[in-house]
Amino acid sequence: MRTAAIEVRGARRVYGFGASAMVALDDVDLSIQPGRFVSVIGPSGCGKSTLLRLVAGLEPADRGEVGIHGVSPEEACAAKMVGLVPQTPALLPWLSVLKNVTLPQKVNRAAARRRAAIGEAADRVAPPEPPDMAELLRKAGLAEAAHKLPSELSGGMQQRTAIVRAFGLQPEVLLMDEPFSALDEFTRESLQEQLLDLWDELKTTVLFVTHSVSEAVRLSDAIVVMAAKPGRITDVVNVDLPRPRGRDLLKTPEFHQLEDLIRDKLRGAWHTRVA
Amino acid sequence: MTSLDDYVATSPEIERPVAEAEPSRYSLRHPKSRIGFLRPKVWLPLVVMLVVLGALWEWGARSMPYLLPKLSSIGEALADEPDYYLRNAWVTLWEALLGLGLGFASAFVLAVLVSEHAWARRAIMPVAVVLNVTPLVAIAPVLVVAFGFGPEPKLIVTGLICFFPILINTSVGLRAVPPEVVQVYRTLKASRLEMLWRIRVPSSLPYLFAALRIVFPLSIVGAVVAELSAPGAAAGLGTAISLASTMNRLPVVFASIAMLAVMGSVLLLIVTIAERRVLHWHETTRGAAG
Ligand SMILES: Nc1ncnc2c1ncn2[C@@H]1O[C@H](COP(=O)(O)OP(=O)(O)OP(=O)(O)O)[C@@H](O)[C@H]1O
Ligand SMILES: [Mg+2]
Repeated sequence: MRTAAIEVRGARRVYGFGASAMVALDDVDLSIQPGRFVSVIGPSGCGKSTLLRLVAGLEPADRGEVGIHGVSPEEACAAKMVGLVPQTPALLPWLSVLKNVTLPQKVNRAAARRRAAIGEAADRVAPPEPPDMAELLRKAGLAEAAHKLPSELSGGMQQRTAIVRAFGLQPEVLLMDEPFSALDEFTRESLQEQLLDLWDELKTTVLFVTHSVSEAVRLSDAIVVMAAKPGRITDVVNVDLPRPRGRDLLKTPEFHQLEDLIRDKLRGAWHTRVA
Repeated sequence: MTSLDDYVATSPEIERPVAEAEPSRYSLRHPKSRIGFLRPKVWLPLVVMLVVLGALWEWGARSMPYLLPKLSSIGEALADEPDYYLRNAWVTLWEALLGLGLGFASAFVLAVLVSEHAWARRAIMPVAVVLNVTPLVAIAPVLVVAFGFGPEPKLIVTGLICFFPILINTSVGLRAVPPEVVQVYRTLKASRLEMLWRIRVPSSLPYLFAALRIVFPLSIVGAVVAELSAPGAAAGLGTAISLASTMNRLPVVFASIAMLAVMGSVLLLIVTIAERRVLHWHETTRGAAG
């Protein structure tokens, strides 16, 4: 078996102390193979963002282990193998769109060497040359916006810019925390399509947090269902729908069946919380 | 830095048709005309205000000739010896800007230290806040005793007065980066220096300019106060004021004050123009910059 792209074993994360302690994650196990698109869904406060922060190496687990392609999150980040798309676009307002998406290539220049070393250790091919960001922007429909400031773009275009910025690194692992939650239904759908196109081309592993059942079903190879108090994984559902997943698929009975299944599991997650 | 205008000018889609449909930016018919200040709506209120103030002044000067000189005699004082005022203004300006530069450099370095290290913040900020509410101009006489009538006490007072607004605003600005931005660049393991230079310093610029708008005119206040408390000093508008007032030459006093007002306004104007250039991306200047 290949090394998992994301491996979480027995992870636990507690905020606060004593009586006010909050178990955000309790004994979480998760293994994601390279190139898979996995969504995380669950009620608010069940620890989805916390899980993402552990994988991104932004905070340590109190117990358990997190690995990315066999190395720690810190090492993976130092090699720029991890891309993050937060809930807000997080663009720098004084830089043009093009400069915003090229800035990641300018920081931490030692990363390429580190990444090559990890690539050899894991017996995988070294990452290709950095892509032409103007070309990537064009593919994402942002050609005209390239020289504009973020404040001159719509929310959907800003979020698309954030996605291009993350893909521009050609990361091994892409972490996305509800990237489309602030957008309207139609923008959301077209961005889902573009995300799938980019993912298809660059074949990275994606861990995608969402509140939307249909978004999870449409995008994912597998859906992780979580429950709160303590935050934990209750189910992992495989999505065996054919790709590419165009708009027509959304109307098929198979799609609806899966949606219903996930909704049932989510309801189950709610009930275990109350009990 | 490429501005948006460059882009629009070179972009083929929006070339001729729009340019012909709209009146020139140098015509009053353009809604955002560059000469929009020529419209009476813009200049009339100020002119009326100035006329009213001038009339009040003249009335005051006539009824209290020992307190207020007539505007015409102030003008004469300026016209008689323009060199005298320019020379002294130059000295004061020099003191103000040099002191400001010293205050700025030390405040900026400390702001970086304070924003990067919690221990530095805990050590420095309480002291800074207490010193900030202390009337620093009151230490000017002490400094004159310590350093004599040379430029040192003036630079120190000016530097101290300018120091705190810059320290406080910049240290807030350096830490005002949204957490999501920090997370994105932390997952790229951008170094501290890269974070500072590429992200924190640019985000602090709006805060820094807010401080500069306070501190540039304030630097002149600092220099003048220091001159006033060193009665033997050789030059400077503050010195000119204290000399002239001991000799009861009111027009000279007010002519010097007028010079100070003009200097302060010009400095403020320079800061405002620089702010519009540098912060063209920021909400406070967008639209205004046109
Ligand atoms: N820095 C923190 N300090 C204290 N408590 C925290 C912190 N971060 C998260 N928590 C708590 O941990 C729990 C899980 O939070 P988390 O943000 O991971 O949930 P989530 O599943 O992402 O929720 P949502 O869907 O609302 O984004 C919540 O109860 C939250 O209050
Ligand atoms: Mg969250």
